Amino acid sequence: MMSKLGRGQKDKVQQFMAITGASEKVALQALKASDWHLEGAFDIFYSQPQIRAVTDTRHLEELYKRYRDPDVDMILVEGISLLCNDLQVDPQDIVMLVLSWHMKAATMCEFSCQEFIGGLQSLGVDSIPKLREKLPSLRNELRDEHKFREIYNFAFSWAREKGQKPLALDTALGMWRLLFSEKHWPLVEHWCQFLQVRHNKAISRDTWSQLLEFVKTIDPQLSNYDEEGAWPYLIDEFVEYLTENGIVPSRK
Amino acid sequence: MNSQSQSQSQSQRRKNFKIEAFKHKVELDPKYAERTWKVLEHAIHEIYNNNASRLSFEELYRSAYNMVLHKYGDKLYSGLVATMTAHLNKIAKSVESAQGGLFLEKLNHKWADHNKALQMIRDILMYMDRSYVPTSHKTPVHELGLNLWRDHIIHSPNIQARLQDTLLDLVQRERTGDVINRGLMRNITKMLMDLGSSVYQDDFEKPFLDVSASFYSGESQQFIECCDCGSYLKKAERRLNEEMERVSHYLDAKTEVKITSAVEREMIANHMQRLVHMDNSGLVNMLIDDKYDDLSRMYSLFKRVPEGLSTIRDVMTSYLRERGRVLVTDTERLKDPVEFVQCLLNEKDKHDKIISTAFNNDKTFQNALNSSFEYFINLNNRSPEFISLYLDDKLRKGLKGASEEEVEVVLDKVMMLFRYLQEKDVFEKYYKQHLAKRLLSGKTVSDDAERSMIVKLKTECGYQFTSKLEGMFTDMKTSEDTMLDFYAKQSAELGDGPTLAVQILTTGSWPTQLTAACNLPPEILTVCEKFRTYYLGTHSGRRLTWQTNMGTADIKATFGKGHKHELNVSTYQMCVLMLFNSADGLTYREIEQATEIPALDLKRCLQSLACVKGKNVLRKEPMSKDISEEDVFYFNDKFTSKFVKVKIGTVVAQKESEPEKQETRQRVEEDRKPQIEAAIVRIMKSRRVLDHNSIVAEVTKQLQSRFLPNPVVIKKRIESLIEREFLERDKADRKLYRYLA
Repeated sequence: MMSKLGRGQKDKVQQFMAITGASEKVALQALKASDWHLEGAFDIFYSQPQIRAVTDTRHLEELYKRYRDPDVDMILVEGISLLCNDLQVDPQDIVMLVLSWHMKAATMCEFSCQEFIGGLQSLGVDSIPKLREKLPSLRNELRDEHKFREIYNFAFSWAREKGQKPLALDTALGMWRLLFSEKHWPLVEHWCQFLQVRHNKAISRDTWSQLLEFVKTIDPQLSNYDEEGAWPYLIDEFVEYLTENGIVPSRK
Repeated sequence: MNSQSQSQSQSQRRKNFKIEAFKHKVELDPKYAERTWKVLEHAIHEIYNNNASRLSFEELYRSAYNMVLHKYGDKLYSGLVATMTAHLNKIAKSVESAQGGLFLEKLNHKWADHNKALQMIRDILMYMDRSYVPTSHKTPVHELGLNLWRDHIIHSPNIQARLQDTLLDLVQRERTGDVINRGLMRNITKMLMDLGSSVYQDDFEKPFLDVSASFYSGESQQFIECCDCGSYLKKAERRLNEEMERVSHYLDAKTEVKITSAVEREMIANHMQRLVHMDNSGLVNMLIDDKYDDLSRMYSLFKRVPEGLSTIRDVMTSYLRERGRVLVTDTERLKDPVEFVQCLLNEKDKHDKIISTAFNNDKTFQNALNSSFEYFINLNNRSPEFISLYLDDKLRKGLKGASEEEVEVVLDKVMMLFRYLQEKDVFEKYYKQHLAKRLLSGKTVSDDAERSMIVKLKTECGYQFTSKLEGMFTDMKTSEDTMLDFYAKQSAELGDGPTLAVQILTTGSWPTQLTAACNLPPEILTVCEKFRTYYLGTHSGRRLTWQTNMGTADIKATFGKGHKHELNVSTYQMCVLMLFNSADGLTYREIEQATEIPALDLKRCLQSLACVKGKNVLRKEPMSKDISEEDVFYFNDKFTSKFVKVKIGTVVAQKESEPEKQETRQRVEEDRKPQIEAAIVRIMKSRRVLDHNSIVAEVTKQLQSRFLPNPVVIKKRIESLIEREFLERDKADRKLYRYLA
């Protein structure tokens, strides 16, 4: 990368790295974004606190070894338990989901080496205390509309059984209850009951992601629900269920 | 000018011989003008007094000519006006004084006179008409004469109103039955037209139309209180014809359309709803009683008014829909499917006839009939099954002895009903089942009729619909050939065993019936195995499965006192009966165990062998109507029948039982899913991106020739395709779907 830059640009990168202590990659990013103005690049850098921290790869490898399973090159259930303990966090805590998202974890209850180290690096932490400090801001990310959606959709593939296309119903119900207590949805319990009584099968990805849209756009009294809205049929049936049982006002 | 120049040149030679214009004028002295005028004035008087014969046309013409020439046109013209006016005033008084009926006659007479006079005057004054009149922008003589007549006679205060009243009174009298002098009327109205169409309109036509409107308004009110619909329409038609006749006899042609629309409005348009809905005699009653004349009259009368035909059509449509709805939901009628369909066909015939006889084959009415049928036929979801059963009945026995034309007529009529079906795929399923039974039992009235039906279905629905049906026919033929070959090659080995006739059915062409084979009697089993070996010898790689629920058998049975009968039974029945060769009595359970026939079929089978009068080759204890699992069966030694050959088979197509119906419907629903998916994929492949509602509309359109897809099912199929990654939702607009290559 550096070889493609002109002399002046290379100098700037060096300067940047020296002053901020950032990595070459970060320096390049910031300078490009500011159109190679050093002052502008500093502004960008200092307004993004995550990038600021420098991580020590050696510390991370040590950390990984602590949690890694003795037989498999992965962090498995016991390792995660230990991690949660160290972090003083309940394994069921939703912050673990956010953390897994940062790690781009493929499946729940396990982290690969790449996922663990890469994730912590992107967070800019290399120790348990630093990670613990970061937890509140991770929790905060759920309040961001955009991020919540990404985390929500991530949760589907993450919570799936390996090799399965749809998400098992019980798991889905658990995830929903978790997610929608954060982003409050008054109908979440009714939704879960409805599914258990009327559907009792696994949940497709489309239904999962469309539910979030439903929660975001349709009010709990369903006054702006549109039958022609191309909602998945399960959601149409849910609306019928709510109307039949008098939970929402009749639509006629 | 030539001569002048010539003379000029001549004159030049002759030294200044000039030719000059008249120096002295031939002056007409005023006295001469006055004298001339007096001559003409006198002539006009004479003309008006019918004394024209004594006048010299030439002299008068010259006089007038001279006056104009010598610039006395003004005097001539104004004199003419004054003279004519004076005469007309006299005429007016004369007309006014006429009594009663003579008024019009006088007017007519005087008008004729005036016209004659005017003609003569015009001829005399022709020069003035041609030279003076245009240049001084005066009205020409003839027109002047008409205008003066109009102003002084027609619009004279004592004549104008009286004329109008007289004319309208005569019309009124004629309308109420009197005979009037039509010739006189014609002359008068023609006079008014000659005076100018605005005169005709203002002095006669407008009041005529007003009076007529109120006349017919009153009359129609009166009629409608006391007449039934048919009589009322007859009266209206009569009045309409009268008015048209009136116009042709003594009114201006342009009045026709105005008076007829007044009658149409008053007598028909204003009472349309009341007429159509009249109790006991309205449109619906006419339809029920096939009153072709009344209907025809209603149609031609209502056609004349706005919304007339649509009123008839709407009432007819809602009547048909209701009637149809009642028919298809009548539980009594539904017990007999053949009767049910016949009823529908009769209704169709009846109304077809009405439309062709009384409604002029009007296409909009045919469409209304079609849409009504389409509506109510599909209210009953067993219609497809019943139509197939009707056809089965006809092809099995109903059309026996019918000519080719008769067969075609019946089949074409049934095809019309078929076209109305929304669920044609359900029909296909049943038709296949019923056809299979007909073919396998050999019970079809005519091969040609069967094939004709297939052709009709193919024309209507395409090759795919009928390819399997045709396959069934092919199988039958091939089987025949196979059997001949089998017996030719194997006759030595078969010896005295039972004669076998096998029909080899290609799986996929025939309706699928997954039944486990029952236990065949050993004699049968032997010959069946021989056949299997033979067949697989020539067709290796194929698999044969005996369909024991579809076969038949002929058994020779000997009863008490040596009575011999040949029984024609189903394969199941044969299996049961053969057991009694080695036992006199058997319990239900023993039979079940020995034959392994499925319970429902076994019960039906035993019922037909033991509980049907005249066919009870078995005796049952207890002698109850139904089969219970505790029953015991005995060979009925005492069986008698006057027929040597007794048919006990139960392979006739019947109305399905409730559970069977559910099963068929389920299979149809399952078959529809891939068809819907295929349609979605086809559409998305070509359109790439499409919104939900458009997909639903397109899919419905593509499949409508087979069935009406349920939008919820379409939605589920779309979601399934999303799950299998054929489609995805658009990231920005969740109502849009994208095709994933």
